[in-house]
Amino acid sequence: MRTALSGVALLGAFAISLVAVLTFTRPPINIVATGNPGTGMQLNYVPKQVAAALAINHAPAALPPIDAGPPASTVYKNVQVLGNVSSGAFTRLMVSMTNWVAPQQGCNYCHVAGNFASDSKYTKVIARRMLQMTIAVNTKYTNHVGNVGVTCYTCHRGAPLPSQVWFTGITPGSGAGLLETNMGKNLPALAINNSSLPSDPFTPFLLNHEKIRDQGTTALPSGNTQSIKQTDWTYALMMHYSQALGVNCAFCHNSQAFSDWSESTPQRLTAFYAEAMLRDLNANYMVPLTSIFPANQRGPTGDVAKINCATCHQGVYKPLFGAAMAAQFPPLLGVGATATAAATPMVMPSTMPMSSSSTTDGAKP
Amino acid sequence: MAMLTFEKKYRVPGGTLLGGDLFDYWVGPFYVGFFGITAAFFSILGTALIIYGASQGTTWNIWQINIVPPDVSYGLGFAPMAKGGLWQVITICALGAFVSWALREVEISRKLGIGLHVPFAFSFAIFAYFSLEVIRPILMGAWGVAFPYGIMSHLDWVSNTGYQYLNFEYNPAHMIAVTLFFTTTFALALHGSLVLSALNPAQGEEVKTAEHEDTFFRDFIGYSIGTLGIHRLGLFLALAAVFFSAVCIIISGPFWTAGWPEWWSWWLNMPIWSGVH
Amino acid sequence: MSEYQNIFTRVQIRGPLHAGPPVTGSIFQREGKPFYSYLMGIIGNAQVGPLYLGSLGVASLISGFIAIEIIGLNMWASVGWNPILFIRDLPWLALEPPAPAYGLRIPPLNQGGWWLMAGFFLTAAMVLWFFRMYRRARQLGLGTHMAWAWGAAIWLYFVLGFLRPLLMGSWGEAPPFGIFPHLDWTVSFSLRYGNLYYDPFHMLSIVFLYGSVLLFAMHAATILAVSRFGGEKEVEQSVDRGTASERAALFWRWTMGFNATMESIHRWAWWFAVLTPLTGGIGILLTGTVTDNWFLWAVKHGVAPHYAPIFSHAVDPATLQGGKP
Repeated sequence: MRTALSGVALLGAFAISLVAVLTFTRPPINIVATGNPGTGMQLNYVPKQVAAALAINHAPAALPPIDAGPPASTVYKNVQVLGNVSSGAFTRLMVSMTNWVAPQQGCNYCHVAGNFASDSKYTKVIARRMLQMTIAVNTKYTNHVGNVGVTCYTCHRGAPLPSQVWFTGITPGSGAGLLETNMGKNLPALAINNSSLPSDPFTPFLLNHEKIRDQGTTALPSGNTQSIKQTDWTYALMMHYSQALGVNCAFCHNSQAFSDWSESTPQRLTAFYAEAMLRDLNANYMVPLTSIFPANQRGPTGDVAKINCATCHQGVYKPLFGAAMAAQFPPLLGVGATATAAATPMVMPSTMPMSSSSTTDGAKP
Repeated sequence: MAMLTFEKKYRVPGGTLLGGDLFDYWVGPFYVGFFGITAAFFSILGTALIIYGASQGTTWNIWQINIVPPDVSYGLGFAPMAKGGLWQVITICALGAFVSWALREVEISRKLGIGLHVPFAFSFAIFAYFSLEVIRPILMGAWGVAFPYGIMSHLDWVSNTGYQYLNFEYNPAHMIAVTLFFTTTFALALHGSLVLSALNPAQGEEVKTAEHEDTFFRDFIGYSIGTLGIHRLGLFLALAAVFFSAVCIIISGPFWTAGWPEWWSWWLNMPIWSGVH
Repeated sequence: MSEYQNIFTRVQIRGPLHAGPPVTGSIFQREGKPFYSYLMGIIGNAQVGPLYLGSLGVASLISGFIAIEIIGLNMWASVGWNPILFIRDLPWLALEPPAPAYGLRIPPLNQGGWWLMAGFFLTAAMVLWFFRMYRRARQLGLGTHMAWAWGAAIWLYFVLGFLRPLLMGSWGEAPPFGIFPHLDWTVSFSLRYGNLYYDPFHMLSIVFLYGSVLLFAMHAATILAVSRFGGEKEVEQSVDRGTASERAALFWRWTMGFNATMESIHRWAWWFAVLTPLTGGIGILLTGTVTDNWFLWAVKHGVAPHYAPIFSHAVDPATLQGGKP
């Protein structure tokens, strides 16, 4: 009895030690204070992990700048977006785009060999729209991207499909059986730090325009009807923000009063502007492309891949640690773009019914 | 004299650890001893420094008074008095007072010829405080990660420190600690109730004995741990609660910097699940 | 050293098993043949059993079993009845209360109906357990203190799962049944209502919770320290004070200038433990019903500390012209 007891205790201690050794990190750690001393507002980093992130997240070398030659539209046919860009800069950008998005596949990933003007490949139609989107981000949303801007590489990182995208999850409460299933939460979800919170906070907030704010603005009740369940959704969205940026709540907030702007950091303002940007990009650029994408590149419900914080940030507080890559490609900042191109919504025969009627309160629609 | 009727015969010299007979006396009901002097010294100095710190602050509002540790940029060095140095001295005073108090309890236990369980138990509380204010800051390389001295400000520190890990309640040691806190309180209610119910039976009934207590618990849940066992269990639960509280904060930062929900990935990624879906 | 400090029982005595006073006035009798357990004997009594269930105990266990079954089967259904996924994801799984859209109406079973039913049976189990404790105490001629302490726990559960949702007009306000999900609920609760640390009854509840642990450590350590004088015989020491309780009392009197008595320490214990869920329940009940943002409430009453602004001139961008997305 006594030996059995010791054996069980030893085995348990060994298992616990094993888990601890395998899962935990070790000091030293680096601290970045984001608030007043003693408030506990700080970011914590393991130097080894930061070094690993730095090794992955750097901008590739840019081709030598060229800005010569007549406007691209006079040299090439069917140039709809970058018509006024010099043919030198145009070619440079096209080669760079190949390096950023399809280095293995080359020009023929989008272009028909021998007839580069043809729009018969779906990838070219999407690439053109993505070019418009990049210009839109760099011109309309400087309140979020600042003068760092984005390029194709910010999301693509050398792959035709960006690795960090999202698809609409199951509609909460859509289970048809006798028992409670499909609640849209209470399962481990990678995008929200593996918590059991709602696993798709993107559809309501980054595609639709549900209310993100939950806290009341008065001490006593004065008509704020946000529920705890709705707060779960906001909390899940914030989990995603943190994880996508490799930060914690203190990057933007003093948890004493999450909603108070004067207690928040300037980063919160930057994040705030991202919300409108992402809704615009998802609704006006990604969703209209749904039918263009082949079925195997779409989500389980047939929806198009969409954008969230992780798409660009990929675990880093500034994408590519703030490398000002876009500045090296003036056409991506809208220089030489035909005036209407960036603003015009895409017109196309929509064959896909756009159903995205998820609500944050988990009720059946 | 504040003496109980039976007290005189227990007031005997001896049992001191330090200072011999020099401090072996009482003031009112309090036993002094060498460590009583040091406890008084540290606690009076520490309290005076807190009051001084408050006078240098912006408010005398008891809820809002806040004496903060140095900014993390000071690392593990000494900070100027006005910029966290005060906090450092107060922390030394607090530890001095707590340790003196524990050693004074040892002296009193020895004088009364009883076990050293109380100072042993108190040492766990000191360990928890020491973990928060010394061990974790040293492991993280800055005094600035310790909690500030203020009624509400220390709550804000707890809150923010928790949200550094997105949801602190996913911290496994915190889960164990909270479970133990609730269990200890639950066990205390059961123990207190049982003794009171034996001592205060229904009208007209005689006071009941331990045999009735045992019978009640056996009827109730099939087992009665007994009068001695409940105190062993209670002490274990309480000390384990405090110990795991210390563990849960020591691992947060020095040994884990991401969100605590993410830590559970190891469970989801164990090879035994492969092939499921 | 360890036997000197009386942490373990070194020598276990084996005598006749203790049967207890006969059960009267019930068709049920004590269940099971009592036996000795070496393991149990290390820290407490070696005797295990018998158990008295009685009609209330049986009813309570059946209710509890039904509640656990409802919760467990719904959890299992949510992973498509996959037994391995059920084990792997168990900490994440939950039975969720109805959506706020249902208000206080009875929703379909798979939209929170099962949650209502599980809550009902769990409450029934707890209330039946209360009566079982009450009746058992009375039949053994004991006071009913434990039943009332249990009542405090029922109060907290009742506030969380029934009373507050009732006042808020939505079952959806209640916590889900699940390990991680109920933790998420507590954080969301605090986030929604502006930082629960600023709820004064939450503060009180934490004080009593920590206070209870402190009291149990103090009390248990004291009794073990005087166990060499028979201090664990608390009832006897209460009615006929011995040297154990005298030394225990003097230890605290000399340490902190004040002491409880052998009986009164158990009154302190009872109140601290009982006030934990009692004040906690009040704190929950007030949240959302009479206050909406505890931090702002604390600001209003001069409790919240001010920190130097870290983002001066910050205004809510949503209030700026053109800022509204």
